[in-house]
Amino acid sequence: MRARVFTREELGRYNGKNGMPSYIAYKGMVYDVTSSFLWKNGRHQVLHGAGKDLTDSLDQASHGSDLIVKFPVVEILSKD
Amino acid sequence: MAKVTREMVEKSGINVDQLVELLVKNAAAELTTYYYYTILRVNLIGLEGEGIKEIAETARIEDRNHFEALVPRIYELGGKLPEDMKAFHDISACPPAGLPKDPTDIKAMLNVLVEAERCAVRGYTHICNLTAGKDHRTYDLAQAILNEEIEHESWFSEFLGEGPSGHFLRRGETSPFVSKFLK
Repeated sequence: MRARVFTREELGRYNGKNGMPSYIAYKGMVYDVTSSFLWKNGRHQVLHGAGKDLTDSLDQASHGSDLIVKFPVVEILSKD
Repeated sequence: MAKVTREMVEKSGINVDQLVELLVKNAAAELTTYYYYTILRVNLIGLEGEGIKEIAETARIEDRNHFEALVPRIYELGGKLPEDMKAFHDISACPPAGLPKDPTDIKAMLNVLVEAERCAVRGYTHICNLTAGKDHRTYDLAQAILNEEIEHESWFSEFLGEGPSGHFLRRGETSPFVSKFLK
């Protein structure tokens, strides 16, 4: 099965609020972090929100990409 | 609340409400870890478990000290602890360090302990990065706690066979870095 391509607008709906799952994008892939204790209600360490591309934010984060890529990939992020 | 203190931190460009929320979440992580480590410690028994009990106890006491040291800074900056203990538990910056399914599996116990410490190391590195050169007192506190969390991580990591910690056990005293905030 081919993965669907997600636009940034679509990604923004998966913000962990009002019962929506929490999705985040990293390097072109969309990960489902809903199950993570550290992404409760679509928020992470106060400063980060679900429904966004966090590729640039990870450069300043106090952890590596290993903590993101362990989550299931649900979509591919559109380049637009 | 210390009005000028808060004003100085705001003027440095830090979002104080966000910083306070981070401090409260990390205070929750410390107190809940103290609780969960109590359960882990009493289950560290037998030939393998007894060898780890001492450092688990030191980490447990020092995590409680971190909670005690964080609380005054939260209130100085105009924050407060949640009145509901259950709510406090659920906003923790780190997942619960729960007892593994098989408490006789010492490696599983060590993995719980080291992951809790690694979460704390990431959390205080994050606070240090946010406050460096801006909020000197929070930075000093977060850095002191970070020093102890790094030592805890390296102790448990050593027992998991990941390499030497380079440390010796504490000799009687606890919190060599944080104790100045507890006086």
